[in-house]
Amino acid sequence: MSSSHILKKDHLIPLLRKLGKAYRLVAPMQNRHGDTLFAEVASVETMALDLDHQPQESLKPFLFPQQEVIAAYEADQAGYALHPRYAAPPPTLYFGVRSCDLAAILYMDVIFSQRTREPHYLGRRHNTVLVGLNCNAPFPNCFCDATKNGPFSELGADLQLTDLGDRFLVTAGRAQGETIVSRWPQFFSAAEEAEIKKQYQLYLEARGGFQRQVHVDLAIRRLAEGMVDEAVWQQLSLRCQDCAGCAYVCPTCTCFTIVDQPRSATSGERLRCWDACTFAGFTRMAGGHNPVEPKKAAIKHRFLHKLKYDVEKHGRPSCVGCGRCLDICFGGTDIARFVELASEE
Amino acid sequence: MPHTQSDPYLPQPARILRVIGENSQIKTFVLAFTDPAVNASFRYQPGQFLMVSVPHCGEAPISISSAQQATPGEIHLSVRRAGKLTSAMHLLAEGAIIALRGPYGRFFPMSDLCGKNLLFVGGGIGLAPLRAVIQSCLADRGRFGAITILYGSRTPSDIAFRADLACWEQEAGVQCLLTVDTPEPGWSGAVGVVPKLLDQVALDPAASKALVCGPPLMIKFTLAALSAKGFADQDIITTLERHMKCGVGLCRHCHLDNKLVCVDGPVFTKAELNTLHVMELA
Ligand SMILES: Cc1cc2nc3c(=O)[nH]c(=O)nc-3n(C[C@H](O)[C@H](O)[C@H](O)COP(=O)(O)OP(=O)(O)OC[C@H]3O[C@@H](n4cnc5c(N)ncnc54)[C@H](O)[C@@H]3O)c2cc1C
Ligand code: SF4
Ligand code: SF4
Ligand code: FES
Repeated sequence: MSSSHILKKDHLIPLLRKLGKAYRLVAPMQNRHGDTLFAEVASVETMALDLDHQPQESLKPFLFPQQEVIAAYEADQAGYALHPRYAAPPPTLYFGVRSCDLAAILYMDVIFSQRTREPHYLGRRHNTVLVGLNCNAPFPNCFCDATKNGPFSELGADLQLTDLGDRFLVTAGRAQGETIVSRWPQFFSAAEEAEIKKQYQLYLEARGGFQRQVHVDLAIRRLAEGMVDEAVWQQLSLRCQDCAGCAYVCPTCTCFTIVDQPRSATSGERLRCWDACTFAGFTRMAGGHNPVEPKKAAIKHRFLHKLKYDVEKHGRPSCVGCGRCLDICFGGTDIARFVELASEE
Repeated sequence: MPHTQSDPYLPQPARILRVIGENSQIKTFVLAFTDPAVNASFRYQPGQFLMVSVPHCGEAPISISSAQQATPGEIHLSVRRAGKLTSAMHLLAEGAIIALRGPYGRFFPMSDLCGKNLLFVGGGIGLAPLRAVIQSCLADRGRFGAITILYGSRTPSDIAFRADLACWEQEAGVQCLLTVDTPEPGWSGAVGVVPKLLDQVALDPAASKALVCGPPLMIKFTLAALSAKGFADQDIITTLERHMKCGVGLCRHCHLDNKLVCVDGPVFTKAELNTLHVMELA
């Protein structure tokens, strides 16, 4: 079903120029502080495209913004009315998306449509084209091999790119991808057998290139068997600084809260904002009862959710091995640390 | 662009028709959606809850305390003043508009209750969701056996739902017993925690279902006492309170192991809770 093409690197900018006219274009770019982040491309000519570093954030903030208005309300003597608000983003093409972040989007697709269809996420997602980029050289904290969704991906992308040096091998995985190739055929040529073989060679090399061994499977098995000692949760929970950095950078953490933001005495907005299960107040009820004892179990649900409950529900963990929480956690309670402790006999 | 009708976050305005003061902390609000079509098509089951919006205060989950058949066209919410939203709601009078979305959650298994003797055990505001079941049973009295209602309050002046209790007692085959933690002058009823009342009533566990709602400790001791009396775990049904923000299985505030209480509960049998790590049973 999928077809393979070649895109010479000389053709990348001209192609992006065309794509930028047809879509809102989002790509990993280096900002003036030297950080690589996904950002909207204002000008293809001057963009600081960076395909050499892992974007510090996933696409989560684009598809599921940290804060968004879901309704506006008026309330006065005459009544109380709430009106839904939908941001209507233009069709957006995300370029250079790594396998981990693609897997995370497939996960969010399920989360935001399974129990209840979530109109804000799905509205954005509906208007989305994904151009993936396979990782020839995993970054220092990556372990997507252990979570089995990288470093090369076959799922989720409309077009999937592999860097072959002076050219990209382009695989069209979904209809939107085919449309792009056939709409701008001048940039693409047919891939040859040798180039497809080269891609496979690169895949094997990439798989050998992980610097971390994170035994995710073993931790999953020990959790399933109930073999993880309470002391592990307690040790990690005590070290957790309650900052929620891990949840914010995590491409698969989707907990949120809903709050009213008064704008005047008679009007306001209802916002949906990211939240994190590690916060002490996440489960606390009026009157102070809290089913989660913060000092003993603040961090427990995060790891059980990713490595036990989602395995039971979806057949795979919802950690996609992107390594971002390893970068951000200053308490030393990231998921790799947990996997290590959980795997100890 | 999504249809507003299918927006899971969008509440509908509802008018307060009457306010019943139950005690100094609890009021029952009698409500109807301002849109007659919405009101006419609204259907719910005992044990389900609504997400209630009060201007500028966000939302809170509140059980529906009435039964559809007993209060046609009206929805009752019995609300204990607990914090920001519930206090703001207590300031509202007849005619004020709030907004509601729902109904949400798994309800009490009414068909399983048919033909059984029913034992209701409530503490404080916990009688609210049970009130919906009791109303539903009384509206269809012939389908259920003997009804016993045990209700605990902190003090005699804290006893809520007095008018309801008085009515229920008049019904054939209904027995109500009250207890208080701390008596006041003039109180001649029972003193002590609710589970103690179990010793004062005739029970036939094999032919009964017990429905329990109250604060966490009350649930814990009542469930233990019911088991000791011989109730099987699948015949003990309770409803749990958890922090909830969305009510529709998205925000995860109400997580309980691999369940989400807003959609997998809030009604659970003790048999189901036994397989989970539940604060109320710990
Ligand atoms: C399924 C269900 C049914 C309920 N039924 C009733 C009822 O019939 N009558 C009644 O009086 N109370 C009921 N409650 C409890 C009620 O939801 C809380 O008392 C209320 O949310 C407190 O909000 P507040 O703003 O007044 O309190 P505050 O202490 O000011 O706010 C508490 C904060 O926690 C949030 N929160 C979310 N869920 C809860 C919760 N369950 N408990 C406490 N805080 C929560 C609030 O939105 C708020 O942000 C029920 C709870 C659940 C889960
Ligand atoms: S838990 Fe950490 S490594 Fe796993 S997906 Fe989330 S941020 Fe990435
Ligand atoms: S986790 Fe895998 S897919 Fe993600 S950036 Fe690292 S190597 Fe690439
Ligand atoms: S209240 Fe949001 S998931 Fe249950």
